[in-house]
Amino acid sequence: MASNNEEGALWSIMGYLISGLLIWGGIGFGLDHWLHTHHYFFLGGLLLGAGASIYLVWLRFGRQ
Amino acid sequence: MHITGHLVASGPGFVPPSTSDFNLPSIVGHSAYTTKPVVAVFFSIILISVFFILASRKAAVVPGKLQFAGESIYGFVRKDLAQEIIGSGFLAYVPFLFTLFVFVLVNNLFGIIPFIQFPTMSHVSFPYVLAIFTFVIFHAIGIKKQGVVKYLKGIAFLPGVPKFAYILLTPIEIATYFLIRPVTLSLRLFANMFAGHLLLLVFIGGGDYMLHDTHLFMKILSPFSFGFGIVMTFFEFMVQCLQAYIITLLSALFIAGALVDEH
Repeated sequence: MASNNEEGALWSIMGYLISGLLIWGGIGFGLDHWLHTHHYFFLGGLLLGAGASIYLVWLRFGRQ
Repeated sequence: MHITGHLVASGPGFVPPSTSDFNLPSIVGHSAYTTKPVVAVFFSIILISVFFILASRKAAVVPGKLQFAGESIYGFVRKDLAQEIIGSGFLAYVPFLFTLFVFVLVNNLFGIIPFIQFPTMSHVSFPYVLAIFTFVIFHAIGIKKQGVVKYLKGIAFLPGVPKFAYILLTPIEIATYFLIRPVTLSLRLFANMFAGHLLLLVFIGGGDYMLHDTHLFMKILSPFSFGFGIVMTFFEFMVQCLQAYIITLLSALFIAGALVDEH
């Protein structure tokens, strides 16, 4: 039972990490495009997304 | 058969397999509905139906070989996947999970079954459809169990988090549930089958090319390429079973997640 759930948690964690990077990186990329800045928002967005998704993973799986 | 003809006909120099090797010609006429993958899917349905009808027709307390094989697969999906992951009320979701597992497994195994030798799921449209099924089913279950508002609120707003964090987390949660989950579910299966088939094409097509080369040295070395092709075929068998298991496991996990009230 534990092994299946751990495997499930693993895949869910991967999903959260990908979507964190994708969403906030994407928002940053859009802002760069809109404001004609050079990748600052993109970089910031990626970092923010990575941080936020790790925080989310901790909230979902690390709190108990 | 197709690949050898293609490689030999292409003249001097080894032509590595490419995506064009996945666009197989129509078997009957020129219709897009009679290409090898489509025919393989229909064949898989017939194969699965016949197998399980035969396996369950004369169900006895002491099972025969066929019944034992059928019940082992069913028992695996029911006990190891559905019951362990979903828990109480798992029985309602066994038919879907079982169908999904067997369908994907057989279509993956087509990649190494002689004369078929093409994994249907290496065409991305097939995994997309399977992912759409899982997507609709697990959201429908969540909405039915908890109601639309409560279900969506459970996805978007994790309890016990400071208010300002929602600005950061809610987009990620929504993207995970509505975009990343179905996309990764289908792409994982597609990419594994696609890459595996390509790998087999490289070694077996390469061995074939070396065998037909004018240099004796190349002819002598060609068995190594064929040999690695055989090793990779066994490796593919493992990957094919594993991917069928993973897509079913994840579908079960998503259903279990939708059934749980608090995330």
